[in-house]
Amino acid sequence: MNEFVSTLVKGLGNGSIYALLALGFVIIYKSMRVISFAQPAFMMVGATLVSYLVLEMNFFVAVLVALALTALLGIGVERVALRPMIGKPVFVVAIITLGIDIAIRTVTNVYIGLEIRQMGDPWGLEQVEIFGVPVDQRHLATLITTMVVVTALFAFFRYSRMGLAMRAASYDQEVALAQGVSVGWVFALSWAIAGVLAALAGVFLSVGVGLEQTLWLTALKALPVIILGGLDSLGGAVVAGLSIGVFEALVGTYGADVAPFLGGDFFLVVPYLLMLLVLLVRPYGLFGAREVERI
Amino acid sequence: MSLLARLGRPELYTSYKQDMALLNTPAKRIWTGVIVLVALVLPFTLTDDLLIVLATGFIAAIGAIGLNIVTGYAGQVSLGHAFFLAIGAYTAAVLSGDPDSTRLIGFGITSLPVWLLASGLAAGLAGLIVAPLVARLRGLYLAIVTLGLVFIGEHIWKHWKALTGGVGVGRPAAVPELFGINLAVDGPSYTRAQKLYLLAFVLLVIFGVLARNLVRSRTGRALAAVRDRDIAAEVIGVDVTRYKMVAFAVSSFYAGIAGSLLYVMIGFIEPSSFNLGLSVQYIAMILIGGVATISGSIMGALFITLLPRLTRELPAVLPFISGSATTGGLTVFTVETVLYGLLIIVFLIFEPRGLYGIWVRIRNYWKSWPFSH
Amino acid sequence: MNARRTVVALATAFVVAAAMSACRSDAPETQEGSEGVKFDVGVTAEPCPEAVDQNKGCIYLGIISDLTAGPFKALAVPITESQKLFWKRVNTAGGIGGYEVDVTKYIKDNKYDPQTHSQVYQEIKPNVLALAQTLGSPQTAAILPDLKSSNVVAAPASWTSAWAFEDNILESGTNYCFEAMNSVDYAVETFKPKSVAAVHYPGDYGDDGAAGAKVAAEANSLTFTDIPTTPGQENQGSAITKLVQAKPDLVILTTAPAEAAAIVGGAAQAGFKGKFIGTSPTWNPALLKSPAAPALQALYLQSGPWAPYGTDTPGHTAMREAVGDAFKAGPSDGWTAGWVWSYPMKAALQKAADNKDLTRAGLVAAVKSLDTVDYEGMLPPEAGKFAGEPAERVFRQSLISKPDPAAPTGVTVEKDLFVGPTAEKYDFTKACYQ
Repeated sequence: MNEFVSTLVKGLGNGSIYALLALGFVIIYKSMRVISFAQPAFMMVGATLVSYLVLEMNFFVAVLVALALTALLGIGVERVALRPMIGKPVFVVAIITLGIDIAIRTVTNVYIGLEIRQMGDPWGLEQVEIFGVPVDQRHLATLITTMVVVTALFAFFRYSRMGLAMRAASYDQEVALAQGVSVGWVFALSWAIAGVLAALAGVFLSVGVGLEQTLWLTALKALPVIILGGLDSLGGAVVAGLSIGVFEALVGTYGADVAPFLGGDFFLVVPYLLMLLVLLVRPYGLFGAREVERI
Repeated sequence: MSLLARLGRPELYTSYKQDMALLNTPAKRIWTGVIVLVALVLPFTLTDDLLIVLATGFIAAIGAIGLNIVTGYAGQVSLGHAFFLAIGAYTAAVLSGDPDSTRLIGFGITSLPVWLLASGLAAGLAGLIVAPLVARLRGLYLAIVTLGLVFIGEHIWKHWKALTGGVGVGRPAAVPELFGINLAVDGPSYTRAQKLYLLAFVLLVIFGVLARNLVRSRTGRALAAVRDRDIAAEVIGVDVTRYKMVAFAVSSFYAGIAGSLLYVMIGFIEPSSFNLGLSVQYIAMILIGGVATISGSIMGALFITLLPRLTRELPAVLPFISGSATTGGLTVFTVETVLYGLLIIVFLIFEPRGLYGIWVRIRNYWKSWPFSH
Repeated sequence: MNARRTVVALATAFVVAAAMSACRSDAPETQEGSEGVKFDVGVTAEPCPEAVDQNKGCIYLGIISDLTAGPFKALAVPITESQKLFWKRVNTAGGIGGYEVDVTKYIKDNKYDPQTHSQVYQEIKPNVLALAQTLGSPQTAAILPDLKSSNVVAAPASWTSAWAFEDNILESGTNYCFEAMNSVDYAVETFKPKSVAAVHYPGDYGDDGAAGAKVAAEANSLTFTDIPTTPGQENQGSAITKLVQAKPDLVILTTAPAEAAAIVGGAAQAGFKGKFIGTSPTWNPALLKSPAAPALQALYLQSGPWAPYGTDTPGHTAMREAVGDAFKAGPSDGWTAGWVWSYPMKAALQKAADNKDLTRAGLVAAVKSLDTVDYEGMLPPEAGKFAGEPAERVFRQSLISKPDPAAPTGVTVEKDLFVGPTAEKYDFTKACYQ
């Protein structure tokens, strides 16, 4: 039982990281109808900034500053590289974001160097006892922060003017423009938010052991999450992220007992299998909106 | 009509057969003949390592043609090409593998036509099985699901050690034996590189012509209809699911053929080669070469295959790029990566129709020269 | 009419082209250089590009390493730099037999991909005598048939047991298999474990170590648990769970540094008290600053094929002098590895030069006749035995180090080079992981 609960918490912790990354993808998709492959880069940038800033200031302050800087980077990328691409086919823009991702990551790798950089966080690999079950502190911290951030995000979209403007722009850009919404600002803001979410995910991913260059591969796990949840559903991204995290952790812990022939790292494939199974039944993901086509 | 009367009027067709021919203008015939001639002469003038690179390019072109059929002509974006390449490579390797080995599965059938067709059919079958599952999906959902295939495939290749040898170990690739001659070793009159180059060229011509005929036929038109407006296509009577299956099957067949031969060039298959990067490489080939064109696929494949070679030669020309990997700043290797990405992006921004689009522009310019504006 | 003319034209062209096949010159010719030393490929009478002495000729060695992309990039970069410094030192001391050795002109990156590796090898092959470094087992396996048929000697940047069976491969130091066996024997001597587990990556690296651990466990009548894992520090949860369930007294760890920290730290958190012994690529000094540091210091030991960077031997001292401040940019034992791997190549070149035969075939013959290599104290001379059968010539000694924050690479020697009873008796007929 203890093992089950700690696995569950670990799954929720990892799942929160996937959810944060997926939310960034979805927000950009909703505003620009473009899938941005630059999230891994923002993740690495955020974590690297924290690893450098933490040498000068408190961990939490460093995280806030890094988030702000990554948001600026997101806006910068959007202005410089994406704004001229409006109107081009979606696939072309996706490849361009891939190129931006590679470029930013190459630069970031120079700053990470060949070693493992530390985040200076207060959690490390420590555990805490919840109702007698030992759980990793960092997983709890990730989960709680993600819940707070997601709630804030939902509140922003529901209650603030800018949030309303973004929702309007995601439904129909022309009509929103006609109503006085600055669609340019919507784009910039969506990239900024996506950058912040990715940076946060990067920080939480690196707090355990440290930051190294190969960490960007984890961001690829967000792809089945967004498909499972539905490309244009924020709630779907969160639900899918958490479920995939939990499934992964459960299969990782219990898979060997149940089906050892599938290999010890079968849990790596679980997100994709889950995605395939769900898509067989619901071709637009769990909560995605069905595309309406006119001939 | 006399030759003089036809000069300068390439679009003048005097018979239906002439109009529908694959090389319907004299210019096309002449240029194709020249290219074929040059390609056949190259093995006797270039060094071995360049020949191997070109041969790899030709085989990659076969794979790119396959991807273009499903992504360019039928509009189904598939990131799963690496999976089908792997199936082809391993089918061929297993069929021609050493039957006495205790570690790896092998059947000892080294005859090239047998394992080539078998790898194509195996991959085609896999494509046929996958197709109904993905026929319901569109756009990005389809792309990521096909990506999922690659990851699932990676998992299988990593763990099925009897088939692949396992990560970090790998297994030897297929042995190409044609009419009793082993094409992968140096022979008395031709080196390995020359033999493999000629094999690759002949196969490219065969499969290229086959693909060209496929897309000019009724099937090709149906695929284009599916790509452009599948609901409208369904309305006029094109069975969308069936043609999607055809597209996937044919594309996987080509991928299987390409996969089996690609690794014959290096002689060794390592299971972690069949990853997202390989799929993206083929997508880059068709995007740069030109979607929905056969000659574009070939041009794109050659471009992407030769690009690393070209960027490796750059430092000799640009001395400010350092060759040492620990000094900060611009090293050869960073330049290679950055250039690769940069060229892809530049192509996509400035010439979305790819190399084929550039070729069309050049052709149109000269068609009406000196009156072009 | 048209068709016939076309066919005739094509046929003529083809015949002409076939006749032109003499245009390509393929086989290298043997030449004779100064002092009557024969050479064919990769050796020139002209001086090296950055020659110390302009009167000496040049021997070109190739390096194909993973400098940008793969999992061992962190080690490959210092290995390559260390090799460059080694040969610079050799050149400053007078070179070999009237020639200086250049390893800088033909450095290529293989991006940890066998296809790229094969292509760049073909590119540099006409210009180099031998390969001073080839990184990656599948990558080297891809070019091995060509290495053998073209008489090219290569020094691999790995310690897998398969190399002992190849005559063209100049490996140094014991392989992961024997290292693991010696580690288990050391543990049996010091704290008498009753059970052993091997947590390892798949492939020639991890599987090799695990196979050695299994053999030693059986020889010492200990229970053995095999726990394969995969790269990625966040993917170690499954391995940690299995470890905590199996509760072995000793764990042989064959992974990369971040994963090792995750496993040791995570297991310690879960109350695991067993000891870990990791192979050399499993360690990175930066781990002593990570949250797993207390666990590592308490539970972790390091095995290795030779002593770490900070040790006091003539070879180590010379290396530290040559590397100097560059070490701080990337402190790791990659510098040590690159340096040590170059000694057999130097000995082989010296022997070939003494035999007045610096052709490729001559170098291979020199390699096959090597009984000892002067490692300047970093390894005993008999570690450089390349003559004779694999089972007799393979070097079976390894050493044990413990974490030490004061040392330059974070570890100091605990037990110097030794061979345990299992490794000594082991019947070495094929690579351990096969």
